[in-house]
Amino acid sequence: MNGSLAPMEAAPLATGAGPRRRAWELLLALPLAVVFAAFLLYPILTILLTSLKPGSGVLHSGGGGSSSHTIFSNYLELFRDPIYCEAMLHSLVLSASVALGATLLCLGPAWLFARYEFPGKRLMRAGFALPMSLSGILVGFLAVIMLGRVGFIPQMSQGLTGKAWLSGAAYQLSGLVIAYLYFEIPRGVVTLESALSKFDPRLDAAARSLGASRWQRFLWIVLPLIAPALVATFAVTFSVSLGSFGVALVLSKRFSVLPLELFHQVVAITNFPLASAMAVFLIALALALNFALGRWMRRHFSLRHA
Amino acid sequence: MKRFSVLSAVLACAATTFAQEKVVIQYDCIPNYANWGGVTAAYFKASGVRVPPDMKGSSAAMAALELEKANPQADTVYYNGGIGYQAAQKGLHEPYKPEGFEKIPDDLKDPEGTWFTVHTAHIAILVNTSALGGKPVPRSFADLLKPEYKGMVVYDDPTIHGTGFTFVYGINAILGGGSDFKAGFDYLKALDANILNYAKENSYNELLRGEIPIWINADGNGLKARHTDKAPVEVVIPKEGTVVLPMVMALVKGAPRPEEAKKYLDWLLGDEAQKVMAESYFRPIMKVDLGPGLSSQFLPDSAYAKVQALPLKEMAADADDFKARWTREIRAGR
Amino acid sequence: MRENLRRPGFLPLYAFTLVLWLIVMSPFAVVVLGAFLQTTFLGLSTEQWARGGDGESLFSVKWFGYVWGLYRGTLLFSVKLALLSVLLCLLIGVPGGMVLARRQFPGRDLLESIVLLPLSLPGIALSIGILQAFAIVRGEWWLILAGHLLYTLPFMVRMVMDALRSFDVAALETAARSLGAGYWQRLRWVVLPNLRHAMVAASLLVFCVSWGEFNISFLLNTPLNQTFPAALYATYTTNSFQVSSAATVIFLGVVVPALMAIQWLGGGRGVKLEQGV
Repeated sequence: MNGSLAPMEAAPLATGAGPRRRAWELLLALPLAVVFAAFLLYPILTILLTSLKPGSGVLHSGGGGSSSHTIFSNYLELFRDPIYCEAMLHSLVLSASVALGATLLCLGPAWLFARYEFPGKRLMRAGFALPMSLSGILVGFLAVIMLGRVGFIPQMSQGLTGKAWLSGAAYQLSGLVIAYLYFEIPRGVVTLESALSKFDPRLDAAARSLGASRWQRFLWIVLPLIAPALVATFAVTFSVSLGSFGVALVLSKRFSVLPLELFHQVVAITNFPLASAMAVFLIALALALNFALGRWMRRHFSLRHA
Repeated sequence: MKRFSVLSAVLACAATTFAQEKVVIQYDCIPNYANWGGVTAAYFKASGVRVPPDMKGSSAAMAALELEKANPQADTVYYNGGIGYQAAQKGLHEPYKPEGFEKIPDDLKDPEGTWFTVHTAHIAILVNTSALGGKPVPRSFADLLKPEYKGMVVYDDPTIHGTGFTFVYGINAILGGGSDFKAGFDYLKALDANILNYAKENSYNELLRGEIPIWINADGNGLKARHTDKAPVEVVIPKEGTVVLPMVMALVKGAPRPEEAKKYLDWLLGDEAQKVMAESYFRPIMKVDLGPGLSSQFLPDSAYAKVQALPLKEMAADADDFKARWTREIRAGR
Repeated sequence: MRENLRRPGFLPLYAFTLVLWLIVMSPFAVVVLGAFLQTTFLGLSTEQWARGGDGESLFSVKWFGYVWGLYRGTLLFSVKLALLSVLLCLLIGVPGGMVLARRQFPGRDLLESIVLLPLSLPGIALSIGILQAFAIVRGEWWLILAGHLLYTLPFMVRMVMDALRSFDVAALETAARSLGAGYWQRLRWVVLPNLRHAMVAASLLVFCVSWGEFNISFLLNTPLNQTFPAALYATYTTNSFQVSSAATVIFLGVVVPALMAIQWLGGGRGVKLEQGV
């Protein structure tokens, strides 16, 4: 689960005996702290500061200048320029739909794996875990192979039925959603499976013995108990989709998403302040989402972490 | 623990294998473009020096050089003529006249040696005939505007790739436009209706597979698709004429390995290298005998009746403004 | 299996999951076949696929030779990075995870949140940060390693923490302490052996994550130091389908055995192998 939920898990074990207990043991965590301070916190600080500087690079050369620059110029440019606004909108819509779709669709397989044993279960679970471990560009490549203009599916359907189905679907918004779902559903399945496996079947049995129907049991017993896991899945899926770069690089031909604009700014236009502003925006969004959902869950659900 | 010692041993071996190889870094060294894969493999065989692949496009390479000015990482660089000229103006190159420099025509090199052409190509319309779905092969730039090709045309993003930049800059001259570039931009705006996308990455694979039916790019790439990869690709030099794509190289200022870089540049103008480059159907700058088989696979000279050379000086001077204008007028409108 | 069929709801769930599974697996089948076969044998119209050459046999490994010759350096570099990631994760992440799980100190929660943070943040945004923050040492290969560590340490730390928070370890350690075992003795004979399972599974995970990492590596790559996913990307765009399929098969050839090993180790309890895509 994401970091904001972790403190809800079991409190650290008190294996020490009193304050004279080896304080030096804390030094063991020092390398960890140093690595993250140097390579996570310091870079974030750097882009925060850079995003406040005047723009540079190819599209700014010979003009602009400091006369019209304010501290938030880059952010204003981000929100005013139609290309970037559109990219932001695409990113948000895409991520939201993928998060919703993944959370709903992965419920089925997660339930199956958590509650039933059957031959071939390990093979199935390994198969589901595979897309998650792939590079984004690989997923994009697979999407093009299957659903591109001359992908496997259009070709097959052309051969069998004479009509090419879903040709070029990979490059549409729907195609991107499918590609994102491809690697997000496994993530959801694994997350929910562990949540569902902790679900006590006795509650379910008790409800059944009291005469509750299957749907009533699902709505009033199962759902509230796994809701935190569902919400967490939604949050993580949303964040990951928002920042997904590899898939977008391969697939987004008709429209752009923000990570691609970021890449373009750095590689071709070399406008680092603007690129930093975009990066800060993406990071802030992801952080805000996780933070907000964490707080919401802490308020609405007991500390029993599903 | 035993695991650690095994791991460390493996890593030590891996580390040593890297330490021994000699390298020259070339920015924009795409293996399947202009046969850099073949050229660098031949150089490795000839000298034991490895030139690793680098996927940057022309503009991306120049951007990288500028970024690394204080601490250059690259030794040499390869790009499209207009961008190369611009980079030389920006002082990113070291003057160097490799062996054979005097044989290069004057308009295809800088007199001081801050850039020089290694091979040329032309802008052409590359068509995957199978992917057209029965539509006729376009024969001119005007044909490309026809509604039947909607969603079928691709050209490279000019802010990243030199070939794309040459096309958007050169179309104005091809269509007989003036210095306000109105003819060119009008054409590009009209073409936008048929554009599938402005490729940020190299689209060779997609042309081969028919994902992209029509790609405006270098004729050499199309001929390679046709003859080497045996794809149903036809290379069309448009009726209105076309422009030359001089592909230039230079020694990077402050290169980390200048001596090796110079040897490499010398070799590239030699017969062996030029012949290998010709295997990708880019025209070598040096006069080499290609043999009857290869020569016949190039398009006949008659196809190149109306070829123009773009004024590199103006192209370089206008480059940034031009890219900004393209972004504003064409890309933003999508 | 038969008694499962009697339980209501099993069949539709199983069918749904099976269909999903087949959809997930299908692209791999196409790719693997494409790397070996001439595509005529996939039963497709051959005109739209790059043909492999004249009169080639059914199985062709020449594409693998091409990929190996061209990208041998990047393959070895990626393997080296992945192994180093495992080593450093074990050296840094295990002690760190131990302290985070067992000790309470001011800032403990904050450190834990920070360590788990990279999993929720967009990789490319972080890589731009690293690029600018360490611009002076741009081109050094260990910058890429640092990026990999950002993404792999959270896994190692999380799995170590989960293993230590289980009831058994706490009980065993308390028992050992009550019997007079000192700190190092407890560490060596109680804590670490119980962590072994988590460490092995986590090491495999870290290897896979580092092997497939693209977002951060892509921008930090230099021609001299390139990771294999970047080479994959190069083949997708500039080479034929056969070459890109061969490169993909090589990539999968490393990931799939590792995944199977993780499953076989029974790492089902919440073992998540997540890639930043």
